[in-house]
Amino acid sequence: MLALQLLVNGILLGGLYVLVAQSLNLIFGVMGVVNLAHGAVIALAGLFTYWFTAHTGANPLLVLPIAGVAGALMGALGQRLLVEPVMRHGARSELLSLLVTFGLSYILIELALQLFGADFVSVPDLQSSWQLGSLAFGKALVVAGVFALVMSALLYAWLNHSMSGKTLLAAAQSPTGAISCGIDVALVRMTAFGIGVGLAAAAGVLVIIIQPVAPQTASDLTLLAFVIIALGGLGDYLGVAIAAVLLGITQSVAGYYLGGNAEYILPYVLLLVVMVARPGRFRRIR
Amino acid sequence: MDQSTQAAGRSTTAASVPPPAGRGGLLGPLVLLAALAAIPLLGAGYSLQLATDTLTAIVLAYGWNLISGFTGYLSFGQVSFYGLGAYTTALLVMHTGVPWYLAVLASGLVGALAALILGPIMLRLRGILFALGMLGLARILSVVFNSWGFAGASIGLSLPAELMPVRIYYATLVLALAAFAINALFVYSGFGLDAVSLNEDEEAAAALGVPATRVKVIAFVLSALLPAMAGGLVAWNRSYMDPTSAFNPSLDLQVVVFVLFGGIGTLWGPFLGTLILTLAGEQFGVSFPNLQLALYGVVVVATVLAFPGGLTGIANRFGWLRRPIVHAARGLPQAAPPPAAAAPPAGGKLLELRGVTVRFSGLTALDDVSLTLGEGETLCVIGANGAGKTTLFNTITGYVAPTAGTINYKGEPVTALPTFRRAQRGLARSFQIPRLMPSLTVWENVLLAARHGRQAARAQAHAAWVLEVMGLTPMWRDPASRLSPGHQRQLEFARVLGLAPDVVLLDEVMAGMTAEEREVVRNAVRRLPQYGVRGVVLVEHVIAAVADLCDRMVVLDFGHVIADGKPQEVLADPAVVRAYLGEPL
Repeated sequence: MLALQLLVNGILLGGLYVLVAQSLNLIFGVMGVVNLAHGAVIALAGLFTYWFTAHTGANPLLVLPIAGVAGALMGALGQRLLVEPVMRHGARSELLSLLVTFGLSYILIELALQLFGADFVSVPDLQSSWQLGSLAFGKALVVAGVFALVMSALLYAWLNHSMSGKTLLAAAQSPTGAISCGIDVALVRMTAFGIGVGLAAAAGVLVIIIQPVAPQTASDLTLLAFVIIALGGLGDYLGVAIAAVLLGITQSVAGYYLGGNAEYILPYVLLLVVMVARPGRFRRIR
Repeated sequence: MDQSTQAAGRSTTAASVPPPAGRGGLLGPLVLLAALAAIPLLGAGYSLQLATDTLTAIVLAYGWNLISGFTGYLSFGQVSFYGLGAYTTALLVMHTGVPWYLAVLASGLVGALAALILGPIMLRLRGILFALGMLGLARILSVVFNSWGFAGASIGLSLPAELMPVRIYYATLVLALAAFAINALFVYSGFGLDAVSLNEDEEAAAALGVPATRVKVIAFVLSALLPAMAGGLVAWNRSYMDPTSAFNPSLDLQVVVFVLFGGIGTLWGPFLGTLILTLAGEQFGVSFPNLQLALYGVVVVATVLAFPGGLTGIANRFGWLRRPIVHAARGLPQAAPPPAAAAPPAGGKLLELRGVTVRFSGLTALDDVSLTLGEGETLCVIGANGAGKTTLFNTITGYVAPTAGTINYKGEPVTALPTFRRAQRGLARSFQIPRLMPSLTVWENVLLAARHGRQAARAQAHAAWVLEVMGLTPMWRDPASRLSPGHQRQLEFARVLGLAPDVVLLDEVMAGMTAEEREVVRNAVRRLPQYGVRGVVLVEHVIAAVADLCDRMVVLDFGHVIADGKPQEVLADPAVVRAYLGEPL
């Protein structure tokens, strides 16, 4: 029974991770850029959710569309003003884009510190659990996991079954080819960045439903998302989903048996282990 | 004679490109050093502590500049070595009672050793993977020290306090000077050229004989040694160390900001950036105590967007702080042709492939290919797209390991030899599209190929000779990125000769050329024996362009050798006609 409980918790946590990672994967896939401000966006959205619900008493899920849309708009704007300009530097653009988003992450973290303070905060909603036989499902985990999975599934369906989604994939796979098909690649990149940041903001709302968030969690969240992408494969949306769920399960088991520290460093250890054992796996990500 | 008229004509057209500065006056740096040495005379108060902190940041900046600036491996986790060094000193002082300076040296040793072990593993990754891998490492270390009782866990360690601010200042100054000297080595030496070549194009560097792994591990070890010793000094100076300050990720942010602002991968950038930003940050911190991180973030974003070269990049535009041309700061060294070739190998076979098979997950690119290249021979390999020509080249030069079969070069097996060693032994290749080191000068591009396995003076004379015979001497100090496409191809050729090769493999050098351009290349190929080249393999798509150049022709079709013999016989072979030209009507 305990095993089943840990498994279900792990899957739900993994469902949230799918969204956390997929939003970064989208940007990475289309632009070849790792948005190092990813975690800062998640943290900022989480903290905003806390502030909003604390002041209005509203259900945190109400913030989901607000954060998503605001995130998407700011993401698209940030891409056009800050990231797109450095894409013109040829071989150096990867390094420069990393540095820009690295700098941006600290601006956002500082913004979060100024607005919401340095403390870990959480939202009080959904603290109880649903009982099913001898299994107890934390409401927060169920809601966050299910919402995240549904949004990831929608993203996947949009990418693979709509013309606009396929346009985006085309621009990711071959920018030159896409341009010669009349696709405005710069616009596609802005759209992808916007959607990616919007989804990250939505993930932030869900993250704070299940665990406390503080500005300094930002870089951990970036790394978490990145580790999942590294394990699942760049641009491989199914692979990333599987990796996210497996990481969720492993973390839930490790957390139960080995404690919080183990749960915390597990993603980093996994990253290093895979780097050592199967460096070939990463060659594709370049 | 015509060389000098060319040079004269060139110098007027190149007048807009100011010559890079030589080794400038020593006066400025000496005054600076004297000023730094005199700072303790101002008293041992707050200003001395600020000066010590600034010097510490300069050490960290110079350390990061080695691996992330020159070598191009962006790291967000050099704080790992700072923390390891801090704890090494703290633990040694507490438990063994060794003097602080020995403890700091031991810190350096621990940092260097850690990098030596981690380097070969971590440096297989590039770009974001290496950057975040290092960040992950710092996190793991932070958790380890947070829970390690012997090291005081999360509370940290308190050291026996001993106030010696002046001595600590001078120790930090010495370390900063060492850090500067190591960076100067990267700017002035051939080793620095190797490091920069990895930054520009690591694959192409291997074809020039650059031992990539060794170079980047050395750079990594040096870039770990410096922060480790700085960490040791800080731990002793503060007589306190805990995991939060030892593995503080914003230390890495600071370093990135300082170096980027001053100019990444330059000699003076880290110094200028750190000096200006710590002093400005100090002022800013007084007025807005909590906004320092945001300020750093803004500086990074603004620098990247507005002036990616940093302060040094701006200074360069006015002719200041330019990097000297390696081994030619005062002009080109004297040219000298290579010494006479060694005796031909027994059997007269320069290159021998036996049963070479290459499979890429299901696809067989080369199937049981056997061929030889004899002394003085020019061999053409032709075949349609996808016939396996490029894979053949990559296998011979070591970029692709064969699934089965052996490769002998000058009578010795080289099947398991890495690319750079094959290049050093004189097995040279060109790339279809020139893969030059864009920011290095023409001279440095050739020197890079010439310097491995050769005495320094000999390498320089050889490189100068290559520039002469390829007609590139007039533009020796231009960055490769500024050459015309024609000159870029010439430089690609010159780099091949820079290796003083016995065997030259040319990959579709005539692709997309006009008839005139092809004639230039064809003449260059005919002249190769004069430059000591004993065997040539040409891979070509355009049969007409090479048929009269080669002594023998090999035809590849879907990874098989379907013909091997005299060009006329091969071209008349019905199997070749069928595979390559289509069915006769």
